[in-house]
Amino acid sequence: MKFLIKIGDKEYPIEILEGENEIKIKVGEKEFSFKKEEKVFLAKTKFEKKEFREKKILAPIAGTISEIFVKEGDFVKEGQKLFLLSAMKMENEILSDFEGKVKKIFVKKGENIKKDQILLIGE
Amino acid sequence: MKILEFEKLESTQKKAKEIAKNSEPWTVVLAKEQTVGYGRKRNFWYSPRGGLYFSAILPKTKIEDLQILTILAAFCVAKILKEDFKLEPFIKLPNDVYVNGKKICGILTENIIFGKEVRNSIIGIGLNTNIDQFPEDLKKIATSVKIELNKKVENEEILKKILNEIKEKLEIIS
Repeated sequence: MKFLIKIGDKEYPIEILEGENEIKIKVGEKEFSFKKEEKVFLAKTKFEKKEFREKKILAPIAGTISEIFVKEGDFVKEGQKLFLLSAMKMENEILSDFEGKVKKIFVKKGENIKKDQILLIGE
Repeated sequence: MKILEFEKLESTQKKAKEIAKNSEPWTVVLAKEQTVGYGRKRNFWYSPRGGLYFSAILPKTKIEDLQILTILAAFCVAKILKEDFKLEPFIKLPNDVYVNGKKICGILTENIIFGKEVRNSIIGIGLNTNIDQFPEDLKKIATSVKIELNKKVENEEILKKILNEIKEKLEIIS
């Protein structure tokens, strides 16, 4: 297959030759060849969204926040006590399941909270 | 059921929480006295020698079932007081037991929650059994089995009865 490509005022003769295992592309006197089996992989790189790295601590049951043991900006370790939640005749110690910084605390001491309400976001 | 007995502890709840991670369910921490015994909202629980103070590490149970168990535990204690000692207990919900208008028993369930999972649950019971007298500030609001019956009772026997009742109730509800 032959054709001409015109770029600006200049014309380039192009020839594409298909062999059994390769494809040749001739541009003027220059020749480029590609193996048919050669596949070009595009790097599948996804950038982690910032939210993805955030760690949410949710209320396991409805209740009242009786104690808050950390403050925004604190670094917490995995297993560190974050909240004491009094709920339905029980006291619940809520421990951190991540290591990192406390980004935001959404509740106050004495506040009544619902099940699955976000208590804290860490990063 | 494994019972770990201590002469004196700050709190059986505190000790049970410390050992819960590496202990079998139904391991029981028992103390002859507590120096910093506490109830709900960290209220002080007077715990001299003579009383029955213990905390049991519960098997993994849904949080909703634990709520019910906590209330049922008060019924277990009341049942024993009524059936074995002919006392007239009154259950003050959520989980205190009164006799003659005075508190005789307090129950506290504590859960340790890691992420979304209940890692450990501990039920603690303080029962005023062989306490001869209370300090002035508690005299009007607290009583003991010994004060009510005018006789000493067997702590170990009561402990086993309560534990068996709780175990049975947990099997029924969960």
